[in-house]
Amino acid sequence: MQRIAHTIRDGVGFDVLLIAFALFYLFAFAGLPILYNVILSFQQVDMFSLGSLFHEITGWENYVAVFNDPLASRVFWNTIVFTAASVFFQFSIGFALALYFNQRFPGASWIRGLFLAGWVMPGLVVGVLWNWLLSGDFGVINWVLMSMGFIDEPIFWRSDTDYSLIAVILANVWYGVPFNMILLAVGLAAIPDDLYEAASLDGATTWQKFWTITLPMMRSTIGAVIALGIIFTLQQFDLFAAVTSGGPAGSSMVAQYWSWELSFRQFDFGRGAVIAVMMIVVVLGVAAIYVRSTRQETRL
Amino acid sequence: MTDATATQITVENVDKHYGTFHALKGIDLSIPKGQFVALVGPSGCGKSTLLRTLAGLEGITSGAITIEGENVTGVPPRKRDLAMVFQSYALYPHMNVRDNLTYALRLKGVPKAERAQRAEEVAATIGLENLLDRRPRELSGGQRQRVAMGRAIIRNPKAFLFDEPLSNLDASLRVRMRKEIRALHDRLNATSVYVTHDQIEAMTMADHVVVMRAGIIEQHGAPLDLYERPANRFVAGFIGSPAMNFVDGVIAEDGRHVRLGIRSNSTIAIDRTLEAGREVLVGLRPEHIALGDAQDASAAFTVGAVEPTGAVTYVFSDDEPELIAIADGISTLKRGDTVGFSIDPGLVHLFDPETEIAIP
Ligand SMILES: Nc1ncnc2c1ncn2[C@@H]1O[C@H](COP(=O)(O)OP(=O)(O)OP(=O)(O)O)[C@@H](O)[C@H]1O
Ligand SMILES: [Mg+2]
Repeated sequence: MQRIAHTIRDGVGFDVLLIAFALFYLFAFAGLPILYNVILSFQQVDMFSLGSLFHEITGWENYVAVFNDPLASRVFWNTIVFTAASVFFQFSIGFALALYFNQRFPGASWIRGLFLAGWVMPGLVVGVLWNWLLSGDFGVINWVLMSMGFIDEPIFWRSDTDYSLIAVILANVWYGVPFNMILLAVGLAAIPDDLYEAASLDGATTWQKFWTITLPMMRSTIGAVIALGIIFTLQQFDLFAAVTSGGPAGSSMVAQYWSWELSFRQFDFGRGAVIAVMMIVVVLGVAAIYVRSTRQETRL
Repeated sequence: MTDATATQITVENVDKHYGTFHALKGIDLSIPKGQFVALVGPSGCGKSTLLRTLAGLEGITSGAITIEGENVTGVPPRKRDLAMVFQSYALYPHMNVRDNLTYALRLKGVPKAERAQRAEEVAATIGLENLLDRRPRELSGGQRQRVAMGRAIIRNPKAFLFDEPLSNLDASLRVRMRKEIRALHDRLNATSVYVTHDQIEAMTMADHVVVMRAGIIEQHGAPLDLYERPANRFVAGFIGSPAMNFVDGVIAEDGRHVRLGIRSNSTIAIDRTLEAGREVLVGLRPEHIALGDAQDASAAFTVGAVEPTGAVTYVFSDDEPELIAIADGISTLKRGDTVGFSIDPGLVHLFDPETEIAIP
């Protein structure tokens, strides 16, 4: 006993203690819920059996049911479109803004800071905000598009099945741009000026400097930002709840929202868990990419 | 081969303001082809700023810069065809040595095979053959310095610009690289502008030394000209190590001697005739002060600190202002001794105490 107390004070034991604590934390608050979720996905859980800890095991039944659901392929493609479009536009707009504000002009850092204001807003507030902007009758977006002559009659963004997913993507891009911009701006600021100066003397144009210096030097930051973007987008729930509720007719239904709807609307927790399990697999894959790119960062 | 009279770079009446700060004040300079020019001066005097305006990395407020007769004021760096070696080396961290060396060639569209061959040649010139596949972070400071040099010479630029390239190296490597850079300059028949705050570096490497202070050129000329005929007190004190001694003095009745304002009653001869009673500032280089017996000298001081270095001994006077003289490596002088000194009249520097300009 005394020896244990000794090594904890002297070092090695203390390291082990710290790691054990972190692992315990991870296990209790991330591992157990994930495990329980996996178990749930193989069980029959409804309103009536919800209270008990153990449920009837049904094997792959929930998985089969989810894959055979008429909504399944729609949700699958919607999730991919939603994630890909959101991440693509968040990243490109965020990168463009980061490059712009990396220029030194008066007020640049202040304005850059203001962008964070959008990011600190709760998702539901952003959702309500975009509800107004996208409103069919008196929405600002319609008004702008109409007065600029792009459209003749108002688009009912939230209730038209052709536009409902785009509506949520718009809101989500707006919501995610500041985060992308700030992380990318930090990466840009870390590139020493003298590299650009050396490249200028070596004959590089602005465009060539971007391709041969900026992009390669930003590789690990870009990898991390995109990985985080995918993870955050797959977690995005509030905007769906506020803007379209996955509708109309499932036209803007994505996996994370469907999982919630199956579990808490239809009280079929087993099937809700199936979707959650599949999303966890995807997120773990993306997280692995994230870890790899941040590891490269420290090696540079 | 080189036309010695051809001017490679001229700087005409260049002013540079950073906001309200006047960093360069009416700089005029003309650099002949093939010359090695050193810009020296204390920290903050504008050496780097001047170099960066030559490179085009900084714009100028007024004036003109020409390279090979072409006015390049306002021309971006990439079109000036100059190469620069940065103090930080500024190697591209994501490229290996070969790619660092050939970056400029790649931008110019030189084919890959030719680039590889040029990289080999340059690497051989500067001793980097075995390091071509390494990344900069896998190199020592001295090796990085060589890569930075290699990156400059591979392009055959119109001129080389160096901004304190050796200041991150240890003393012995610095002395070696000093010679290598100069040898490279001669071999390539290059034109070089070299910024340093180390006057020894400037004196040993350059054909022409430009001494700057607070945004102006105080004096420029061949190293020994600056040493023998400094135009003012600042240049006199900046060039030479240990620095020149400065003592107030008054011209004696005969106009051919000066009485030194030190505690002992000391008079030294000068090589010109000046108005009796005129107040002057006397500059005496430590290496020109000949120490001797106190009895038969017209000037003397009491010895304070004595610092033997082996080769020579630094002898300090116990006086205000303190004088430094250089004695033999093995000296028997000790604190409290009274020592006589003399100095060749031709080596006594005289300055006006008001303007600090050399008295002819
Ligand atoms: N971007 C800038 N903005 C404002 N002032 C500047 C800027 N760059 C340089 N200066 C000022 O201009 C003066 C000259 O700077 P410079 O870098 O040319 O000095 P230097 O002679 O190279 O000194 P050192 O030996 O320390 O490198 C300094 O007083 C510096 O503060
Ligand atoms: Mg400098």
